Amino acid sequence: MGRMRFLCDVDRCIDCGGCVVACKEGHQIPVGVNRRRVITINEGKPGEKSISVACMHCSDAPCIAVCPVDALYQREDGIVLVNKDVCIGCGYCFFACPFGAPQFPKGNSFGARGVMDKCTFCAGGPAENFSDKEKRLYGQNRIAEGKAPLCASMCATKALLAGDADKIANIYRERGFKRGSGANAWGWDKAYNKK
Amino acid sequence: MRRILFVTLIMFLLLMAAVYSAENDTVQPIFSNSKYNNSIENYKIITEHFTGEWQKYGEPFTILQKEYVRKIYFWILIAIPGIFVLHYLVIGPKKFPHEGNKYLVFTVFNRAVHWLTAISFLTLTVSGLIMIFGKYFGGGSLVRTFRFIHFPSAVIFVPLGLVMLLMWLREMIIAPGDITWFFKFGGYLSKKTENIMPVGKFNPGQKSWFWLGTLGGFVMAYTGYYMYSFAASTDNLRIYAIIHNFLGMAMLIMFLVHLYMSLFAIKGSLKSMLTGYKYEDEIRIMHCRFYSKLSGKDCSK
Ligand code: SF4
Ligand code: SF4
Repeated sequence: MGRMRFLCDVDRCIDCGGCVVACKEGHQIPVGVNRRRVITINEGKPGEKSISVACMHCSDAPCIAVCPVDALYQREDGIVLVNKDVCIGCGYCFFACPFGAPQFPKGNSFGARGVMDKCTFCAGGPAENFSDKEKRLYGQNRIAEGKAPLCASMCATKALLAGDADKIANIYRERGFKRGSGANAWGWDKAYNKK
Repeated sequence: MRRILFVTLIMFLLLMAAVYSAENDTVQPIFSNSKYNNSIENYKIITEHFTGEWQKYGEPFTILQKEYVRKIYFWILIAIPGIFVLHYLVIGPKKFPHEGNKYLVFTVFNRAVHWLTAISFLTLTVSGLIMIFGKYFGGGSLVRTFRFIHFPSAVIFVPLGLVMLLMWLREMIIAPGDITWFFKFGGYLSKKTENIMPVGKFNPGQKSWFWLGTLGGFVMAYTGYYMYSFAASTDNLRIYAIIHNFLGMAMLIMFLVHLYMSLFAIKGSLKSMLTGYKYEDEIRIMHCRFYSKLSGKDCSK
């Protein structure tokens, strides 16, 4: 089994926000919770860059390390998931996460925050695949259907890549190679290489 | 008592060292010739937009939480009561026949404040410990309930702690001889009650519990509020969580000491906090200077 990863190409992301909307709509995520976000730096200036970030499904994930109730776990394919029946909403995973991925909707009791919600890599959760419970708590399970995550699937510029680590690393490497200067730049092979 | 203080001190030094050890780990840009086309520079700016400097605070938080916090709490809960069992068996409790006059030492107001604070403190301690050891309770709604109890308990604790601080402030100020008291454990390591060192209404052990319980409690409430509300930068939340969890250790230790002394080590101590009265013979030995003040008599043994 491959090792699932995200990769966002900052040279391609145009801050269209499509991934954020796709994720929110596809998983029926409550207001105030963003499993995926896009941020832009140097906005309106030369060198403007945007990047789309959700949970990175880290190896040796800090969130798993700090959770006091072991609500988080990592699947064999690297996807990090939370068990919402176990999570107590303490927020430690948020303190530990380098990407601000864990999100907390407002809970019902005493106005305290509810249990943690984060990107599932569209792999649902610990509940039975395609069950109502899974859909309600975690959203769609596109991985079990054999599809790629929603965000990456709809990315207009294909800046956001999701899937097997080796494959997406190759795509990115090739891209970088092609758009590099000199002989690899766009059109050069056709324009200058015929004699 | 000295050993406990020493351990607490070491833990705080370790904590400070851990927080600052990652100081020099920040990534330096490799290329700096181009201001705008420098991905490493850009990645750094992007990272700052998310959750601040992970290497500086996130990583120490993660390591402390993963490797130390639960373990240290576990050993506190094992070792401290273990020491008390030894003390009880080897040295034994202090007993007094409770003869002679009795003096009203704790007014109704004193006792009410003490017990209300005690109840909220106990709730905070128990719910906090259940969260720390949450995985052994299976997490979920049970542990979540204790998390919901933790916050309102703190809301009750803070004003009471404030009243207690003002109520006993004068008697709790450090007096001459208090430091030496610590080095000799106040004479409590001796079987003979005559070796108990002369102190006022409160001994230095009680005083340190008082200061830690009130001021430390306020720090716990402050850091806890932000952990609850998330109303601070992620880096600050990490620092607050580290402080909360390590200060909690010191408070737990002192709380256990207080429980042991009042429930087991000094017979009748619990009763005096319920009725407000202490007997002459006990005050004369345990709180010599206070006795002289109360009765005008010399307390020499
Ligand atoms: S929640 Fe954060 S720490 Fe955990 S896997 Fe996702 S990105 Fe990594
Ligand atoms: S919020 Fe939930 S998942 Fe995150 S550390 Fe706390 S219990 Fe674990």
